[in-house]
Amino acid sequence: MEGGKKRQDKDTSKGKKTTQDASGTAPTEVKAKPRHRNTYRLEPRTKVRDDLVRDKAQAILTSKLQEATYDGASSPFLCASISEEILKAVKELDYDRYKYVVSVLIVEKANQAMIVASRCLWDVQRDTWVSAKCETDTFIALALVMACYYD
Amino acid sequence: MDEFQTGEEASFLVDEVSSIIKEAIEGAIGGNAYQHSKVNQWTTSVVEQTLSQLTKLGKPFKYIVTCVIMQKNGAGLHTASSCFWDNSSDGTCTVRWENKTMYCIVSAFGLAI
Repeated sequence: MEGGKKRQDKDTSKGKKTTQDASGTAPTEVKAKPRHRNTYRLEPRTKVRDDLVRDKAQAILTSKLQEATYDGASSPFLCASISEEILKAVKELDYDRYKYVVSVLIVEKANQAMIVASRCLWDVQRDTWVSAKCETDTFIALALVMACYYD
Repeated sequence: MDEFQTGEEASFLVDEVSSIIKEAIEGAIGGNAYQHSKVNQWTTSVVEQTLSQLTKLGKPFKYIVTCVIMQKNGAGLHTASSCFWDNSSDGTCTVRWENKTMYCIVSAFGLAI
């Protein structure tokens, strides 16, 4: 029988726990947030380096899209896979205490106008964002990576 | 060593956020046709209106709001996003809106502090 809260030294990891009722009814999920010991550390060990993240994102974009042409059927999958690859690469850079949001846009070029704008409400000293662009004859791809510090 | 949970856990309510975004879009570009000179102003006002309404909710969240406005021309547009966060407390909401001359896609991401 599971129960109780876990104490952990690590900064991350929260989990959902499943508790089984004694009378044998269906298991209910109880969200128990594990309590962590205070680390008394207010800053991340290393702040996210914009240039490194931008290089990674740019490299992934160019490598995947250099030869591709816009295709209505395959672009959604391409978009999603690029987004996941960039996320994986940024996670590999292994900055501690950061959450990431990666957004990828692929737009077909058809002489239309488009504007992308974003605003963020966050901690300017610790959070950051980068953008990478890849342009070919048939389409433009834009990747946005945002990193937010999480205590 | 004493441990304590500071305050209540807030969660990202998708419906609430989605209605805030819809109101902001309607307010800014409601009945208008695409105008190149005004698009800049429109995106800014949609995003700022959304962000200020989200802040008024008073929840302990960091917000990221992205707005894409595209002229209707038969061209295709795809967006995808992946996030590395805590599923139980963080969330996202995307609203697609269109009229006869343009598409507007607004995404709001909320990350718990």
